[in-house]
Amino acid sequence: MSDFSSSGPVYGLMAEFDSAQELVAAAHKTHEAGYQKIDAYSPFPIEGLAEAIGFHKNNVPLVVLIGGIIGGLSAYALQYWVAVITYPVNVGGRPFHSWPSFIIVTFELTILFGGLSSAIGMLALNGLPMPYHPVFNVPEFAKASENKFFLVVFSSDPKYDAARTRSFLSGLAPRMIAEVPS
Amino acid sequence: MTTATMTKSDLMAPPVVQIMQQRSLIIGVLGAIASIAGAFLAPDSFYSAYLEGFMFWLGLSLGCMAILMLYHLVGGAWGTVIRRTLESGMMTLPLMFVLFVPILLNLPKLYFWARPDVLADPKADPKIVEIAHSYLNFNGILVRYLAFFVIWIAMAYFLNRWSTEQDSTAGQSTLRFRALSSIGLVIYSLTISFAVVDWVMSLQARWISTIYGLLFIAGEALSAFCLSVVIESVLGTRKPMSEYLNDTEVHDHGKFMLAFVMVWAYFNFSQWLIIWAGNLPEEIPWYVSRMKGGWETVGLFLVVFHFAVPFALLLSRQLKRKARTLVRIALWLLLMRMVDIFWHIEPVSHPTFHLSWVHFAIIAGMGGLWLAYFFRNLRSRPLLAVNAPQTLRLLEPSHE
Repeated sequence: MSDFSSSGPVYGLMAEFDSAQELVAAAHKTHEAGYQKIDAYSPFPIEGLAEAIGFHKNNVPLVVLIGGIIGGLSAYALQYWVAVITYPVNVGGRPFHSWPSFIIVTFELTILFGGLSSAIGMLALNGLPMPYHPVFNVPEFAKASENKFFLVVFSSDPKYDAARTRSFLSGLAPRMIAEVPS
Repeated sequence: MTTATMTKSDLMAPPVVQIMQQRSLIIGVLGAIASIAGAFLAPDSFYSAYLEGFMFWLGLSLGCMAILMLYHLVGGAWGTVIRRTLESGMMTLPLMFVLFVPILLNLPKLYFWARPDVLADPKADPKIVEIAHSYLNFNGILVRYLAFFVIWIAMAYFLNRWSTEQDSTAGQSTLRFRALSSIGLVIYSLTISFAVVDWVMSLQARWISTIYGLLFIAGEALSAFCLSVVIESVLGTRKPMSEYLNDTEVHDHGKFMLAFVMVWAYFNFSQWLIIWAGNLPEEIPWYVSRMKGGWETVGLFLVVFHFAVPFALLLSRQLKRKARTLVRIALWLLLMRMVDIFWHIEPVSHPTFHLSWVHFAIIAGMGGLWLAYFFRNLRSRPLLAVNAPQTLRLLEPSHE
């Protein structure tokens, strides 16, 4: 068991587990115990882990939807403006506002704006790139990229209490518990 | 999960499948009797309605075969859980083979190029006479119909027999599935394109659309996924499927439905945009005849309810993840597939909107027989291909 007893501000408490099942089970129990601000780290994606820590949905789809709608409307407006208002050309006697021919560009720009919104929205909402994160202050955390599984309860959680949270986490039988300095 | 210890007998279809098979058979027989009555009482409605029913149910069989081939090539848990549904669906092809015979024997009732009086008319379009002599005639239709079905049934037969063999012997290579599926998808897309030219596109005199086969391919794939969702909404709450069907796979089927709704709209729009932009007298009659006499309402209905509304609804993640919500859209889209095929075929024989009781009798008759056959196939084997490597992966606990 290793321990960090720094005197500075504390970011949270970290518990280390050996397997994905243990991590999911521990995350479930922690979430059920009423902890809201928790996070889990693993070397690979684990099915059901996001739900276990109470993470149900994010807002990227909404960003993509709004981006796609803006892309579609702007593409249609641009074509309307060019073909009807500023530079009307008679093509085979068709009306200037020939909407069928506008659909392709409208569709393409919907896709383009939707795609860009998903990439930008994802980065904006998850805060990446993030050059500094407190969890890396714990040396054991390097193994989160190899073969160990970690659960962190943040000190910002309303239920967080250094002693009680530590004893709760020990009840989950982790390999070790470490305090994460901020 | 305890499914790793499940045996073949645990994985057999629940008793409800037998009940559905019996009910389907009753509906099918009653519908078939009504359809036969329709052939005599309302011959004016019967033949186009029959062709519509045939194209819809054939589309389900072939869609199942195509999606199964796609699954053999790309894999994925989404296909492992519906593999037996798809196999049971494609093994109804022998029924569709038999159901084509009434069309074959009544070509002049449906197709202008098969009518001797049209061809004998000295004022007849020489191009039509030429095509009727060289390609579109009874012998041509007969030979190609036999060829299409021999190819389809052979591919379905082998994929299905190998799948049965896999159940009894562990550790077999899956190479032959992949080999047949890779060439099979190419053969399927070519044969169905030629088939819809023969059976549907040739209804309209001198009209050609090079994307026509793709319209049907997209619709058939969509039908197959809708059928799979309907089946999993019934079986997913019962053992054994409740043990292995997760929201993740239902979500994938919903995504496929969204994708094929979009592909269907994309192909239809492509055909329409090119014909609209060209505005040529040889190309536009197909749309002109479908933009009057009430058919324009059906067309708009399809734009809204085959594309726009299902598209908007299927964007929702929550809706796609639960079989009990997704099944409503799946059933609706199956109905829209019928309406789409109706809109393709019916305006040729009826310039104004026409829907009779015969349409319903034929859909029920063919559908009841098709479903009874389908459920019989589904009952004959475990609901998972027990020895397939993909199944073994599916049954592993996911947290390892």
